[in-house]
Amino acid sequence: MEPTSDNRLMEEVRDGKVERLAILFERHHVMLFNFFLRLSGNRSTSEDLVQEVFFRILKYRDTYHGQSKFIVWMYQIARNVHVDHLRKQKQEVPLDAQFEEPAVAETPAIERLSAEVDAAVLKKALDRLPLRKREVLLLSRFQEMKYREIAELMGCDIGSIKSTIHRAIKELGKIYFELQGGTSP
Amino acid sequence: MKCEQIREKSADYLAGELDEKSLSEVRVHLAHCPACREELESLSAIWTKLGVLPKEQPSGSLRIRFYEMLEAYKKGTEKDRDKISLGQTLSYWFGRLMPRRPAYQIALSLILIAAGLGGGFLLSVRSRSAARTEVTGLRGEVDDMRRIVAVSLLKQASPSERLMGVSWSARIDRPGDEIIQTLLETLNRDPNVNVRLAAVDALYLFYDHPEVKAGLIHSLAGQTSPLVQLSLINLLVEIRERRAVEALERLIQDEKLNPKVKKRAELGLTQLS
Repeated sequence: MEPTSDNRLMEEVRDGKVERLAILFERHHVMLFNFFLRLSGNRSTSEDLVQEVFFRILKYRDTYHGQSKFIVWMYQIARNVHVDHLRKQKQEVPLDAQFEEPAVAETPAIERLSAEVDAAVLKKALDRLPLRKREVLLLSRFQEMKYREIAELMGCDIGSIKSTIHRAIKELGKIYFELQGGTSP
Repeated sequence: MKCEQIREKSADYLAGELDEKSLSEVRVHLAHCPACREELESLSAIWTKLGVLPKEQPSGSLRIRFYEMLEAYKKGTEKDRDKISLGQTLSYWFGRLMPRRPAYQIALSLILIAAGLGGGFLLSVRSRSAARTEVTGLRGEVDDMRRIVAVSLLKQASPSERLMGVSWSARIDRPGDEIIQTLLETLNRDPNVNVRLAAVDALYLFYDHPEVKAGLIHSLAGQTSPLVQLSLINLLVEIRERRAVEALERLIQDEKLNPKVKKRAELGLTQLS
């Protein structure tokens, strides 16, 4: 039997069967958690944000029209939730701290070979990428979204998404090699 | 193809979205252009590296919080819906019943006041039974929700989440066949002893369900952990399940059986017969 599609489930949630949201939660919460984790770097914040996304899905369920894919709609909400979180954080963090460069630990040469350290460096490099580039990269590489869907979600044309991907990867590579203590190729 | 076009196509190239024709054009260009080749190679290297970043798992509390929110939301909407539908029905009927001429309207008002005074007394008696129906309805909804939570938790990879699943099942007032089946399956198949033990405890709450007794007896033969065996025997003796006698006798025949379990089974036999 074909599993019920996300769109169909969300339509049911919209029409009052809110318990069907449980299936959508089971399908998407881990991906969403990873999306926020790569954006915020904080596990408990990420869990709060996932919770907030599903809360807003319930709150705004009447506005779901089903023309676009459910995950496009869901990530639109997720991006709004993240922006709201950043705004709130800005009010709490003193101004000079926001512009401070995050400290980067020097990686000892002997550890550079280990794959774990490699992943850690890559994560750090990702953290340094500007928000928009990071989002586009995360959506395409980790959330397995098509460029067309990302363009729809971000409200821009597909060409701009593709060139953002190009520039984001290039910049990520540069930061990555710098963090490793080498020079970019 | 020019270098500029290669840059435009690189995003599609990385995502594997290029068609055969474009792909071969890119390859032809790369063969002659070392700069583009180098750039695309380093882009691919980073793209591939990104793919090996591990997927992290959220803590179990995220799931619990979500289901609690869903349950609370559902309770809230049910109440709202009742309010709205009652209001709409009333205004519809008032609209239809109200006579057009003012004199009749006054007469009707007087009759309504009299009826209201008399009815008020009766209603206070009736409203109690209406509230009871509403509460029963809500309880059913909450039960449905708990069922979904329990089943989804019981299917998780982490034993602690499955334990939570068992404890959610125990909170269900009227478990359906699905919950009973899932609990029995947990009892028979779960690799973790603690989860299986918790399943025995949860099933104890539902022992008057016809499938549970048969399931427990059947499960006794398949269990390998002495702790679970003991717990099952205790339960079967406690609910005075006579049909368990045969299963206990068979269990005692097993040479590999833990001596303590054997002793308990023998005692159980005398208690049951």
